[in-house]
Amino acid sequence: MKDPYTGHDYAVVPAIVPDVAVIHAFMGDRTGAVVTDSSRNDRLLAMAARKTIAVVEELVDPDDLMPGKFGIYVSPLHIDAVVVAPQGAHPTGCRSRYELDCLHMLAYIEASKQEDSFASYLQKYIIEPKNHEQYLDIVRSGGSR
Amino acid sequence: MNTTQIHPFETMIVIMSRLVKDNDVAATGTLSPIPAAALLLARNMHAPNLTCLLYGDPEMRLTEGLHEAFGFMQRGLLDLFFLSGIQIDRHGNINLSIVGDYEKPKVRLPGGAGTNMVSMMAKRIIIFSTVHNSRLFVPEVDFVNARTMDDSIPWRRGTLSNVVTPIALLKSDRQWGGITLEATFPGHSVKEIAENTGFDLGATGREIPEIDPVGEDELNLLRTDVQSKLREIYPLFCDMIWGAD
Repeated sequence: MKDPYTGHDYAVVPAIVPDVAVIHAFMGDRTGAVVTDSSRNDRLLAMAARKTIAVVEELVDPDDLMPGKFGIYVSPLHIDAVVVAPQGAHPTGCRSRYELDCLHMLAYIEASKQEDSFASYLQKYIIEPKNHEQYLDIVRSGGSR
Repeated sequence: MNTTQIHPFETMIVIMSRLVKDNDVAATGTLSPIPAAALLLARNMHAPNLTCLLYGDPEMRLTEGLHEAFGFMQRGLLDLFFLSGIQIDRHGNINLSIVGDYEKPKVRLPGGAGTNMVSMMAKRIIIFSTVHNSRLFVPEVDFVNARTMDDSIPWRRGTLSNVVTPIALLKSDRQWGGITLEATFPGHSVKEIAENTGFDLGATGREIPEIDPVGEDELNLLRTDVQSKLREIYPLFCDMIWGAD
């Protein structure tokens, strides 16, 4: 398509509008504002999606919702729900808080190679735990994190 | 320092660093320890005013993620970017998605991410690969994620300049209409390189030089200053080349 200003030919694609975006943020407050990792595209996602759920490491007072060195503020205009889940990014990491759980990721990759081992993984880590706390307990007892 | 045993990736890093110009603004993407090392080395050698944007650098602060980095490139502010692929053909087309038939792939990969846009919007592209064989360099890629040499349409800022592998330095040659052999690496013949490339590198009837050998100063900087910075981003790569810290 021709750019009306420069005359250059560009390839264009329609914008993606997700029904729901789930982002993992450093912190959030009761107004729905969050501070998330500035190296990620979370704000773009939140602004593109029809609904955005922000999973946060901690709930803080609005006065304490400060971006810090690697954070970016996202207005409550773009957030529909805030879920408090410490270590909610596990088995991936959360910058400046905790690293990727390499052992767990390797176990996951191994389990995903076969249908039955993957079913056992789902049973143990996803289906059986009643909540995130229970999930983390099972992970801890498994040796990693 | 043992300069007789140079790891093939060290040679790649040094050769790639020589392709970087002073005052360039250059960036590297995911899984790119070799280009990242090359940029750091260039900045320590001949390009003190190089700006390096190394993906995964814990000290790099962005305002707003890749979205911001992509916008930066689209404004024409990026001089150099490094790309790779699972297949590369003589026209500099890159495949990062599928090996084999699209409907019944032998291998399915995560895909190209920003490869296509970056290849259009960066002013210069260097392709790197940690292997050099005819499974990588194929006559025609099974899937095109990016066309690094095709300047027909749409509008683009830059194109492919070179391809660096563990055994050879290749370059994009407009007159030849594809990728040609520019120089061999020590210990690797034109014959060996040609046999491991699935298309004609235009090397017959031409004198192909060997690269200028890796200098002691380059190797020394690479193994000291460059390594210690690279370790912050790519610890496992550093362990593999130089042993555990």
